[in-house]
Amino acid sequence: MSKYFKSAALVLQVACGVQLFNNYIAEFTWCFGPSMLPTLNMTGDIVGFEHLTQRFSKLGTGDLVVAVSPTDPSKLVCKRIIGVPGDKVVIDPVSPHRQYITVPPGHYWLMGDNLSNSTDSRAYGPVSGGLILGRVFARLWPSPKWINNGLEEIVEFS
Amino acid sequence: MSKYFKSAALVFQVACGVQLFNNYVAEFTWCFGPSMLPTLNMTGDIVGFEHLTQRFSKLGTGDLVVAISPTDPSKLVCKRIIGVPGDKVVIDPVSPYRQYITVPPGHYWLMGDNLSNSTDSRAYGPVSGGLILGRVFARLWPSPKWINNGLEEIVEFS
Repeated sequence: MSKYFKSAALVLQVACGVQLFNNYIAEFTWCFGPSMLPTLNMTGDIVGFEHLTQRFSKLGTGDLVVAVSPTDPSKLVCKRIIGVPGDKVVIDPVSPHRQYITVPPGHYWLMGDNLSNSTDSRAYGPVSGGLILGRVFARLWPSPKWINNGLEEIVEFS
Repeated sequence: MSKYFKSAALVFQVACGVQLFNNYVAEFTWCFGPSMLPTLNMTGDIVGFEHLTQRFSKLGTGDLVVAISPTDPSKLVCKRIIGVPGDKVVIDPVSPYRQYITVPPGHYWLMGDNLSNSTDSRAYGPVSGGLILGRVFARLWPSPKWINNGLEEIVEFS
């Protein structure tokens, strides 16, 4: 009996350590859907995301993040940050009637890479920073690769 | 050296267990400010809040909750739920121009008990359920007491 108790205690300790790692450093989750094509597959990817950037640094435009869905707290969404607090962003770039919005303090404007098939901030508005869980740094499966910010400076031609 | 290592391991295990309890069962935090008078003190209270209602049941109107501030993810707010998803609530009961809003799915309408001095959903709109950390069940310090829902059925006089 004592042997089983020791094994159970060890399992609990490992689970605790993994839980701490997941909460404070990095974890992985399942992202599926067409909203992030071509960056992420429609049939689903396992992506790794980290909590450190949000805690010690700042999330910036172009970062791919995992967030709790604003309309359904039991679901996660994987979107890209288009606007940080204070930015003036276009609400819907494909709309003929261009409207702007200033991103409120503490909020982010999220959009999927596949604008034609993405439910994002164009539908549910700016997303509060407290809903964002972390920044995606890699796709783990299938075809593992690093996922970068991808933002490029605009070079103005004179 | 081995003795110190064993003590460190024990401290780590206890911290892990406390962390799990805090994340999944209940924890306590500091709420201060005039927005929840007379329920909570202006100079600050330590309140205990639990995560179980939100996970296994549903938060309801009248529940006092702790949430991440929508405008500043590094701060917490303690407010009362006035509207659950689908409810039609009055935006500002003390305003001469009465406006209504239907609480969107997955969101809650939060207001402080001290309407005259509370920054709440009247200022920052409906709060996404993912920002709500848990339901307050007791004030731990000073003067410990249970904190109840307080909602009463309206008795219609015919």
